[in-house]
Amino acid sequence: MSRGHSNGLDLRIEERVLDSGLTLLAVQNPNVATFACAVSLDVRAGDEPRDKAGLVNLVGECLDEGTSGKSALELAEAAESIGGALEGNQRGGSIHCPAEHRKAGMELLFEIVSDPAFPAREVERVKGEIRVEIRIENEDPRTVARRRFSKEVYGRHPLGRPPQGTTESVARIRPRDLRQWHRAFFAPANGYVAAAGPEDPGRMLDLMSRIFGRLKGEAPSHGPIPAIPWPSRPRDVHVPMKREQVHVFVGHRGIRRTDPDYYALSVMDHVLGTGPGFTSRCARRLRDEQGLCYSVAAGITPSAGEEPGTFTAYIGTSPEHREAAIAGFLEEIDRIRETLAEPDEVEAVKDYLTGSFVFGLERNINLAAYAIRARRFDLGFDHVRRYPDLVRAVTAEQVREVARRHLVPSAMIRVSAGAS
Amino acid sequence: MKPLEVETVDLDNGFRALLVERRTLPVVASVLWYRVGSRDERSGETGLSHFLEHMMFKGTDRFAKGEIDALTNRMGGSNNAFTDCDSTAYYFSLAADRWETALEIEASRMKGCLLDPAEFESEKKVVLEELAMGEDDPWRPLYQEAEAQLFQVHPYHHPVIGYRQDLERLTPDRMRAYYERNYGPNRAILVVVGAIDRERTRHRIEDLFGCIGQAEQRGPVLDEPEPRVARRSSLHTDYSVARLCVGFPTCRMGERDDYALDVLANALGMNKSSRLYKRLVLRDELVSDVSVINEPRFDPGGFFVLCELREGADPDEVERGVREEVEALAEEGVPAADARRIREQIRASFLFQDETALDQAMKLARFEALTSGGHRTLENVLPTYASLRNPELKRVAARYLDFRRAAVVWAHPRAEKAERRAKRASRRTRGGKPRRGKG
Repeated sequence: MSRGHSNGLDLRIEERVLDSGLTLLAVQNPNVATFACAVSLDVRAGDEPRDKAGLVNLVGECLDEGTSGKSALELAEAAESIGGALEGNQRGGSIHCPAEHRKAGMELLFEIVSDPAFPAREVERVKGEIRVEIRIENEDPRTVARRRFSKEVYGRHPLGRPPQGTTESVARIRPRDLRQWHRAFFAPANGYVAAAGPEDPGRMLDLMSRIFGRLKGEAPSHGPIPAIPWPSRPRDVHVPMKREQVHVFVGHRGIRRTDPDYYALSVMDHVLGTGPGFTSRCARRLRDEQGLCYSVAAGITPSAGEEPGTFTAYIGTSPEHREAAIAGFLEEIDRIRETLAEPDEVEAVKDYLTGSFVFGLERNINLAAYAIRARRFDLGFDHVRRYPDLVRAVTAEQVREVARRHLVPSAMIRVSAGAS
Repeated sequence: MKPLEVETVDLDNGFRALLVERRTLPVVASVLWYRVGSRDERSGETGLSHFLEHMMFKGTDRFAKGEIDALTNRMGGSNNAFTDCDSTAYYFSLAADRWETALEIEASRMKGCLLDPAEFESEKKVVLEELAMGEDDPWRPLYQEAEAQLFQVHPYHHPVIGYRQDLERLTPDRMRAYYERNYGPNRAILVVVGAIDRERTRHRIEDLFGCIGQAEQRGPVLDEPEPRVARRSSLHTDYSVARLCVGFPTCRMGERDDYALDVLANALGMNKSSRLYKRLVLRDELVSDVSVINEPRFDPGGFFVLCELREGADPDEVERGVREEVEALAEEGVPAADARRIREQIRASFLFQDETALDQAMKLARFEALTSGGHRTLENVLPTYASLRNPELKRVAARYLDFRRAAVVWAHPRAEKAERRAKRASRRTRGGKPRRGKG
């Protein structure tokens, strides 16, 4: 089956669904000499066994550590010889290379996604590297605070666990666990492969079908995911560390990408704390006027995915400013819930969102990711054309309404790590 | 790779603009690149270039504080800036039907920045927070120490962000003097890439920048003398991971040796088939990550090897591994098959930079500002890489990557430092009684 259309930005996307259940997407990006392809299968963090935390991450890390036909080094040399950047990840992987090497690039990507060998020696080495990574992150106050914030927000939900696992859980993972996981979840059903480059999308789809049509496997079955609890009262946690700054996260559970309030919340985010320069209220107040920080942001839509993300207000500041920063966030959250935003403020945000959308479509890898998002979240390929209208339709009243619905002051969790 | 069609606009006051028409998407990127960086700071004013970059968003004679961001926002675009040792650059990405506002903003910022004292004090706090943020980065002190060791008389010795004491003492008057001395059309390059009307753009540039008076010419700085001794430092850190940075002084950006150093950096440690990755990560499993950076600059720059050690790895063994692989590189050079692979990667990296208008504009501005051949250098970049043969690569490796002129900087975890001291002490006493008295 093949469907396609052209949009106002001259973006041509075509789609083909294979009998295996794998959806292929091709986006034409004329006038570039490069190519990108991404594989995103129906792999969910929620299926990871609790006692093997880090398994899903380790599978992704080890995909390019050897296949039945090539060693890790041979894979690396093959990718480098076509000027390619080949990467495995939890849901598959990606290749980015000059356009004339697209076939070789996709063959390599297919090889690591479909036929990884998970050699024992390489798996043990990568586990050692992940242990170092965990140690480094445990000493980084921003990561420590973010991880603890996730734990407080998500409770027993899989997103509350650190993606790499812990030193202990990673030590328990064996190569056979990786092979079993790969067999069970790296299957074509409900998965996507998207490519972007200068070639005609129909021809790109033909090539993709020949390569990724060979992906086999039973459709994965997914277990239930625990609910995300709302805290009964605000929580305040500080992890003291010997550092110059303290990193503060304030927030609670957020929304899924499919939430009908997504566009109104996107406008709310930009009024409140997301976006470029110092135009948002939080950046203007905490950085520009009070000079409390270099880095500050607040928003609910950036983390929205298949599972609920978080509403997060973040600041990195000196320890003596911690309370003032939290108070600033809470006041701004109250303000956006209680008072109508100025018409100018809302209009400026809408101008920004509708005008800047195009910049996310310049790179091949972003185009491939966009095509997958459009399908996975049922946005439709015409989303790129409809987006300005969806944003333009948001009113100041709706911004206040969604702020009231989705920002809950009584449930705000405060977590910080760093200097005290 | 097809050569870009670049139109050069030269004004009488020394201002140069490069225009590239590109109609992939209805967007335009503009970069105003000043030949002003921490290299141009005098004693007691370290961090001034970067601090001034922050102040350029705090109001000009035409655009009130916050207005530049508000306007950019309103126009659906983005803007930002960066400062390094040689340069300060301001850039915009905007839709093609409204991008010219960026030109008006840049013209106003070139001479009309207000540098309001109250805003200066407020922004100083932000810069000090940025400094504190950098101090919590485990690599920052290591890299700074390597630079301080490599560049002992040249201003590259100082960190771009500056020293806390200098920043605290800076005054608006000192910043104004610096701004007036360094910001002007003769020290700037404008690059515009995107869906533009070139003739109209040329006229706008002439109108807006043609009447601006010049800044002082870039002043000379002390050349870094050839190092006569190897330098070594060991830092105290609170991190549990040991890290190594080895720096070698090198050459200017765009010199022929710079291309050879790029190839050598690839062969040594920029990818998984490189010497250091194969030995230290794959074979010996001593480090979890290794990277190599060739960092050419306006004045001779540096070549850096960075290693992050695995738990229990012997630092001496890691350093020996780095030393032996660097020496082997100088001895053997780069085999033909490896050189082919590296050339393909370099070619691809240039192609990737052409995916967005902004990346393309940055590439042009960087080559125009930092190489003696200007942006035209780009036409010869790939042929130059292709012309490098192994004897030349060996000669360049032997000349620059010599441990007798290197700066070796270690960051050892505290516990490990104590252990190493004990190990050394036990080695000293094992052979007999410790000696007493003279000698």
